[in-house]
Amino acid sequence: MNSFQDYEGQGRAEKLSRIIITIFGVVGLTWGYIVQQFSQTVYILGAGFALALIMTIPPWPIYRRKPLKWQPARDSKDSTHVSKDQSSKKGKKK
Amino acid sequence: MHSVLTRGNTVLAYALSVLACLTFACFLSTVFLDYVTDSKIKTVKVVVKNVPDYSASREKNDLGYLTFDLQADLTHLFNWNVKQLFLYLTAEYKTENNELNQVVLWDKIILRGENAVLDYKNMNTKYYFWDDGNGLRANENVTLSLSWNIIPNAGLLPNIIATGSHSFKFPSEYTTYRV
Repeated sequence: MNSFQDYEGQGRAEKLSRIIITIFGVVGLTWGYIVQQFSQTVYILGAGFALALIMTIPPWPIYRRKPLKWQPARDSKDSTHVSKDQSSKKGKKK
Repeated sequence: MHSVLTRGNTVLAYALSVLACLTFACFLSTVFLDYVTDSKIKTVKVVVKNVPDYSASREKNDLGYLTFDLQADLTHLFNWNVKQLFLYLTAEYKTENNELNQVVLWDKIILRGENAVLDYKNMNTKYYFWDDGNGLRANENVTLSLSWNIIPNAGLLPNIIATGSHSFKFPSEYTTYRV
């Protein structure tokens, strides 16, 4: 499976994961303090962690909206095989 | 953030950092609480014997024997950063051998959620009240006090001495009865 996210998608994924975990942490701390059970805080943070994993690890379509547009490989006979090598690598990445 | 593993690593590392911060917040919310409370201790029967201490020197040492009443309500000491209390009853006294003697006579663990209202009548001690020599007979001032050690989720392990200690004296004659 191709797990690629584009550059902006990677940024959004990281930001989203931070927001989710922070919110669940704050809510968990408040709830744990209200019921005086620190285990509740840990469980709620764990739920936030799981949600952040689901939301940011798979390459959901919202993280793939702006793929990089690579230049087409230059087909030149006089250049060495190095350039050929590079173009094949780029192709793989995409 | 370009692959599944780096994204997983980022999310896990951040979640663990947040967990550490939350634990610290939990510690901060309880660190300034005052855990001192009142206890009522009374001795019922107090005798002293002079018998060989085979666990130590085999010489004859003073062995105190007492039963006690103990009342304390520790319910309000529990909060989200207290897992259990370790209670112990200490006898403190002065002898010719030592300026300060401290002997733990009894202890108890109270987990959070268990009954924390202590009301004991005529309890036996859990451990022997051996003196380091012959300093118990006719000792005028032995002080019993209840202390506890708070075992938290995170933070300090404070030792608290309850208010309301009890002083008593040992009789001036050794008892010959079995106790």
